[in-house]
Amino acid sequence: MLLSIMEPIAPDNYVAFTFFIGYIAMFAASVFFFVERGSVNKKWKMSLLVSALITGIAAVHYYYMRDYNLATGDSPTFFRYVDWILTVPLMCVEFYLLTKLAGATKKLLWKLIFASTWMLVCGYIGEAFNPGGADATIHSVIWGVLSTLGYLYILYTAWIGEVAVLAEKSNSEAIKKGVRSLAWFVLVGWAIYPIGYMCMDGGWLSSIMDPKSIDVWYNIADAINKIGFGLVVYTIAITESNKELAN
Amino acid sequence: MNKLLFIYIVFCYLIASVFTLENTITVENQLFGSSILIIIFGIPHGAIDNILCLTESNLSKNMFYLLYLLSMLFYCFLWFISPMYSFIFFLFISAYHFGESQLSNYKIEINFSKLIFFIWGVALISSLFLYNTEELSNLFNSNDDTSNFSIIFKYNLLDILFYTSNLALFLSLLYLKVKKLITNQIFNTELFQIILLHITFFIFPVIISFTLYFVFLHSIKVLLQEYSYLEQKISGLNLIKFIKLLAPFTFLSVFLFILFILISNFYNIDISLLLFSIISISVITLPHSISMTNFYDKINFK
Repeated sequence: MLLSIMEPIAPDNYVAFTFFIGYIAMFAASVFFFVERGSVNKKWKMSLLVSALITGIAAVHYYYMRDYNLATGDSPTFFRYVDWILTVPLMCVEFYLLTKLAGATKKLLWKLIFASTWMLVCGYIGEAFNPGGADATIHSVIWGVLSTLGYLYILYTAWIGEVAVLAEKSNSEAIKKGVRSLAWFVLVGWAIYPIGYMCMDGGWLSSIMDPKSIDVWYNIADAINKIGFGLVVYTIAITESNKELAN
Repeated sequence: MNKLLFIYIVFCYLIASVFTLENTITVENQLFGSSILIIIFGIPHGAIDNILCLTESNLSKNMFYLLYLLSMLFYCFLWFISPMYSFIFFLFISAYHFGESQLSNYKIEINFSKLIFFIWGVALISSLFLYNTEELSNLFNSNDDTSNFSIIFKYNLLDILFYTSNLALFLSLLYLKVKKLITNQIFNTELFQIILLHITFFIFPVIISFTLYFVFLHSIKVLLQEYSYLEQKISGLNLIKFIKLLAPFTFLSVFLFILFILISNFYNIDISLLLFSIISISVITLPHSISMTNFYDKINFK
């Protein structure tokens, strides 16, 4: 009965395959972070809750994106941006939570949330409201550049700016290493999104990468970035909790 | 990631946006932009070799200038004897110089550190050439006096250099990491930077690729090292005074270059601008790289 209502999936449909894998992986990660909240010290519970929310929200969206893609064969741009607009600011919240003990202020939190929202809103306008025709390229470049400004701000803050300075001040090797790992996620993992943007139809990199296959890269990058982000936070939380327990 | 690498990434995104918008950037515009950046940052980074060498040194001023000019003359003579070997020699000196500058921040205390500098530079130059073979080949073939340089693209020479140097570089960095001569963080940053350079060389034209590396990851980095060193040696040094130190030889270099272009147009001298540029850069690179080796020895053995 169940098989009769399911869309058949071709064995070489890697987009559908990665949507399935993405959904299951995010869901599993979410359960893991929720359960593991019990293993860490009180002050780290919020960080793990945020990690669980990030993967949980993504799992729900991947569930819908999987069906949407199977039914239409199109790229689920709308769902993807809804997912990102909820999860990426939460990833920035992780930076704040990790450096809070070293003196991170609410101002830093709001700056990061604003930058991430700016990045995604501009990216969505550039991708979803492209007028096509002669104005297509100028439209995507303008919104692409505006979006990249948000990305660069987060990148700067994580590597050189306030977050990096606070992590150095934290006196905790686990936090220093953890923030550095998260900064690597922003630098390498998040770079797939502007690259994907440039691979859109008519984009500069569309000749290098097939625009239709970009969903595969987005799905892989999303899974690594979100689950990886959460795992780094989990490692810091467990290390610091064990250290406090030992003292 | 340091600030310079961040600026490098910003410029990569910026140029990628221009390419998306315009599909291409003309060679004239590439040369124009590159020239401005190289005049502002590239030439000045080698304009105070005299000050760097003479500080904390027993060498007299006259002796320094004599040796500097003699090495330049020697190289001019080499160009006169064999342009091909001179060109290859230039690539080798540049490779060592770039590698030394790249790894100068880490005190790598092993016997073959200089070999690693060289490997780093060979990996850089061979990657730049391999990803842009067609463009460079066309450039060299566009002048009779530089067409011989295209030989480096024959007999799979470049492929062999590319694969061996990049593999050797990776293994060297891994060795340094395993032996705890560099930290994991340095290893990751170096690896990331090499991958980033590969991506840049692959997607951008050769002029833009080289300028991005040369200006942001080499020249400005060296300028900052020079400033930081001289700040301790010259009391009251600030940015304005530092620029004043850089100015004389920077202006002299630009002036002599422009003078040559004017003279060559006027007297119809039988040498292409490309060959003249390669010769003049190589002739300056030899004493500059020797001076910089001396400089890095000073700051590393302090």
